[in-house]
Amino acid sequence: MKAFTLLAFAILLACGARASDTIWPAQRGTASARGVCKWVSETPPPEIREWHFRHKSNRRYKTGLAVWASPAVAVVGGRPMAFIGGYDQTMHALDLAAKEECWAKITNGEICDAPAVGEVDGELVVFWGSADRSVYAYAAATGRRVWTRELVAGTSTMTWARLSAPLLHDGTLYVTCFAYDKALPRNMQKGWLCALDMRTGAERWRREVSQGPVGAPVGRRIGGRFIVFVAAQKGLLQALDCTGTEPRPVWTFQMPHEVLGSPAVEEDTERPLLFLGSKFGNLIAIDALTGREVWQRMAGNWIDNTASVGKVDGENIVVVGSHDYNLYAFRVADGAMLWRRHLGGEVFSAPVLFELEGRPAVAACALDNHLYVLDARSGTVITAFYTGQPIWDKVSKGETLWGSPVVFEAGSQTALVHGSFNDTVYVLPVLGETTLRARARSSAALWRGLGIVLVLFLGVVVPVLVKWPARKEA
Amino acid sequence: MVDQWNRFIEEAEYFLERASGNIKLVEKGLTGLEGSYVELLTILALGLLAVIPVIVPERRRQLYRHINQVFGIFIFVFVVFTCLGVFGMIRNLFRGINEIGRENIIALYYCSVPVTVLVTSMIFGPTFCGWICPTGALQEFAGMVFGGWHRRRKRACYPFSRFMLAMSAIVAAIFLVWMAYLSARRIFFIEDASIYWSEVLVLILFLLVWQMGSLDRRLRRLRILSFWIIVAAAIAQVRITSPVHFGFSKVYDPASLLATVMVVLASLIVPHVWCRYLCPWREAIAWAAKHSVRSVVRDPARCTSCGRCDEVCGVDAIEKGVIDRHECHMCLKCADACPNGALRVVDRWEPGT
Repeated sequence: MKAFTLLAFAILLACGARASDTIWPAQRGTASARGVCKWVSETPPPEIREWHFRHKSNRRYKTGLAVWASPAVAVVGGRPMAFIGGYDQTMHALDLAAKEECWAKITNGEICDAPAVGEVDGELVVFWGSADRSVYAYAAATGRRVWTRELVAGTSTMTWARLSAPLLHDGTLYVTCFAYDKALPRNMQKGWLCALDMRTGAERWRREVSQGPVGAPVGRRIGGRFIVFVAAQKGLLQALDCTGTEPRPVWTFQMPHEVLGSPAVEEDTERPLLFLGSKFGNLIAIDALTGREVWQRMAGNWIDNTASVGKVDGENIVVVGSHDYNLYAFRVADGAMLWRRHLGGEVFSAPVLFELEGRPAVAACALDNHLYVLDARSGTVITAFYTGQPIWDKVSKGETLWGSPVVFEAGSQTALVHGSFNDTVYVLPVLGETTLRARARSSAALWRGLGIVLVLFLGVVVPVLVKWPARKEA
Repeated sequence: MVDQWNRFIEEAEYFLERASGNIKLVEKGLTGLEGSYVELLTILALGLLAVIPVIVPERRRQLYRHINQVFGIFIFVFVVFTCLGVFGMIRNLFRGINEIGRENIIALYYCSVPVTVLVTSMIFGPTFCGWICPTGALQEFAGMVFGGWHRRRKRACYPFSRFMLAMSAIVAAIFLVWMAYLSARRIFFIEDASIYWSEVLVLILFLLVWQMGSLDRRLRRLRILSFWIIVAAAIAQVRITSPVHFGFSKVYDPASLLATVMVVLASLIVPHVWCRYLCPWREAIAWAAKHSVRSVVRDPARCTSCGRCDEVCGVDAIEKGVIDRHECHMCLKCADACPNGALRVVDRWEPGT
């Protein structure tokens, strides 16, 4: 009887939790890069507790930076799950409620970008690209292989390919791939946007978009057309109409410097703006329909990750981090700066906009090894988590995208999921107690510290020095 | 009115952040080895700056020294990427030593600058302090403002001074107001612990108002404490930024800026106050330069104990011609000021020379 009840409850949970919001079709979840997955179900969500997942492999040496890409979060069969890959070449499927790894799939190359989760024939499938030049599709619940597709034939002189996070739309998977073959006879240096069939992995078309690496594609339906935006690292932003069987260029826009992130596109409007930052330090708002620049704002240093667009008190805002240690929030309508918050290090991650007890909040990571949660209205820091030092801390800033946090919202619970560069995936309930007490201190603690130093210096150090006989002079 | 003031402060802060954003003349230091990011340019510049004290003519040597100091600040702000801060060099040296055998290129990166400074100190004496150090240069230039008053006070064996008390109170007030402002608007981190050094600096000023004659030598041992605190922090992998760190960090660092301003203001009142009492790197250099090949020596036959050398020495490292090598900055002001030529620089390249 007990087993039957449990089975019935599980079936109920599995059916009840399925909803379109629970799928993750792009690098940061949506075109607006909000990075949030919501539990949409009448059944109560399972409790999400703090979890530090660390993959123990039998590999003695790391092949470079143990930097984790951003995760994808989805509700799969009633279970809140995160999918994340990294430089250990493995895609991990993590059950956030049970705190266990459901399955892992090792590839032949590093996984440098986020996976995407979509539905194929009623089954949730997770898709990702690996530096072994291949796209993988595996059943999200079980880890069963659905298909794999090699995008470029390998040669002995070809370096590792750079595949972006996939974009899923209407049965098609869009992914960018950069391959470089240094051999003189077959020299090749190309960046493509490829379209694959989500069900079989068959290639529908590919288009060369750059001669260098290309960021993850972002797509949005505008005026009956499905437009895909891709930004090449060299700075060329392109909009392609992918409604038909072949892509048609709509417009291009040359950014003033290199671009590492992907565009973020405004939602809930027929005339959306697109936002992209560059290493020149500027965030540019572009009309997504025409490619015309609407406004641009300068940060004090590089912007090397994706912005995030969301609604705060009825108006759209765009939030972006910069290497000048600041997180910026601008009003979408006119580019007015709403607030700017100085954090303890270069803000390398893409921000995530979510709701915390009914308040708008934003989370981002900085190179002081902290993950911050801020009030999205004022930029005030609500809390911060210490997420560890990089394993290999001689990092080249601005040359690679590091992991960004995402949020899983389930009823009154809000959990951050973040693959940190210390080789650990953190699941952190924002409101609950966590062991990762931030080293960031309050004003009160600061004044207490000054008081302690005053007492120690005058009460201990100075008397000891006065009593201690003076050193003999030369 | 309050709004206007807040807006002004915000604009000033934003200006500082922007001004310290991209000020480097080179996008990356010259790489010594491919992919290593070793700042060859920094090592070359430091080596050159360390050699200049040896090659400049004795005539107008102090002018050349000040030019070298200004050039050092220029290099520091606009070229150097590696941490040249007095805390950072200890931390980097520790990290570099840790990497030897594991990541030798990285070890070279972290060790290159501190080892260059220590080795040049072992050979040429503590010329880094007297000729290159940006913190030392800032203090020396600030100390020139009340140069006459310092000399008079020194001659009188540091009596109680109302002027000094008033100045110390002003410095303390600036520190407290600035701290109140920062604590209301910013988050502080362990890295910002240089504010504690600033606090101690202010306290030292008040102690010296009454007791500089008797406390000067004793308080100099604070440098040892300061050194071991930074070493302990380095072992615990805690990064503490030093004064003037903001100058090369490519970002606006309010705690470091505050510490720098405190050092400059305090050195208006007590010359080289940071070098005398708190600089941990000064202590390391003093140990390295203890048996340096190059040093200042006194010719007793020529010395008349006129006290001219005592008068010009900014760190009180000489008394009646007797030099305390542990405190000497090798600025050579004493040698240049000696009317009888009793103090001269000697190179002991061979034992027994």
